Amino acid sequence: MVRLITHNLLACHVKGCTTNNFPLVFQDVQVELQEAEFNPDFIRNMLSRLEWTALVSAAKQVGDTSLPPEQPDMMDDELLQKLHHVLMEIHVTDGAMVCQNCNHIYPISNGIPNMLLAEHEIG
Amino acid sequence: MKPVKSVTIIDDPQVHEDQHVHAVYDQIASHFSSTRYKPWPIIAKFLSDLPTGWIGLDSGTGNGKYLPLPADRPGSILTIGLDRSRNLLQIAQHAGSEPGCPVTREVVWGDVLGDGWRSGVFDYTISIATIHHLASHDRRKLAVQVRATSRLLQAVSPVHGRVMIYVWAIEQDELSKRSIPASDTNGSDNPMTGEDVFVPWVMSQGQHTAKGKFKNDVETPVYNRYYHMFAKGELEQLTVQAADEFGLMVGSRESANTKGCRGVEIIQEGWERSNYYVELRRWVS
Repeated sequence: MVRLITHNLLACHVKGCTTNNFPLVFQDVQVELQEAEFNPDFIRNMLSRLEWTALVSAAKQVGDTSLPPEQPDMMDDELLQKLHHVLMEIHVTDGAMVCQNCNHIYPISNGIPNMLLAEHEIG
Repeated sequence: MKPVKSVTIIDDPQVHEDQHVHAVYDQIASHFSSTRYKPWPIIAKFLSDLPTGWIGLDSGTGNGKYLPLPADRPGSILTIGLDRSRNLLQIAQHAGSEPGCPVTREVVWGDVLGDGWRSGVFDYTISIATIHHLASHDRRKLAVQVRATSRLLQAVSPVHGRVMIYVWAIEQDELSKRSIPASDTNGSDNPMTGEDVFVPWVMSQGQHTAKGKFKNDVETPVYNRYYHMFAKGELEQLTVQAADEFGLMVGSRESANTKGCRGVEIIQEGWERSNYYVELRRWVS
């Protein structure tokens, strides 16, 4: 599945596409919600790996507007719960992710994103 | 004992790899997966020692058997599985699920030589029984393997990133189901070049393949998988070359003379149950 936690790590890797190649933009996505066990320590500790602005905009693209536009300094339990939902419980099952820079389309089907490139696109 | 055949790559390496690695695993995915469920102890320990909140990449995840770990603290880290075989990924996607309690894993269809991630975003990468499948002509072989290793180093944090690599060894233990023809292992002048072989995968009766079920009166299909079997010292040599290519010092952080140097330390290396392994940590002085 493509959860937003994974989406936040992915970047376009087409040959020569090195700027503005993150974040990929969701297109025509189908979303499924799956409950996951809440682990506040995991969420709190992993947060420094995330690009907040990219996460907020990706969440909007899949229909979730619960996160504040700026990353708050203090992480209270309510916010950790929201983050847990956005990062771990929203699954993109089908659709695509598109690079804003080179327009390369990475298709998603049955929850598996296809990051393979054609021979001539490999850097 | 299943015999292992020595092989020389004469066709295009990419075509060779597609035919003798990617296509084979897509065909044998289900049967292969049913025989691969036990994690290697050293990798299980590596994952179980990682701090809560760390995110990693399993590059060449296969059936995803490492994705649910650590068993004693499930959900304390997140490992994303990447593989070239889509059929294996469909299995990996539900690795560790119990009947009635399905779990979904994060999996990505991609190549281990690819680079579809923000640079240095992971805390750890593991590459288990994968790099030995990368094919190319003799002279360029090292180049491809070095690039794959370099990708692992590049994917992790420059400050604290950890990497664990396992590859198949020429030195097989007595528990191994395979026999290596003796003449094939010492035919080379250079002891550090390992050996290219085909390892047969025999579909057991009644196993499903992607194309359907085999009937008993049909001959049991055999698929030949391409392997490069590593010689002693070869994995370490590979690591040093990859670090070099990526501009990293090899050694401990204390060995750096000035501040701001980037390096990688070999934490442990060895041989376990027919495989060579190496554990690495990146550092900035």
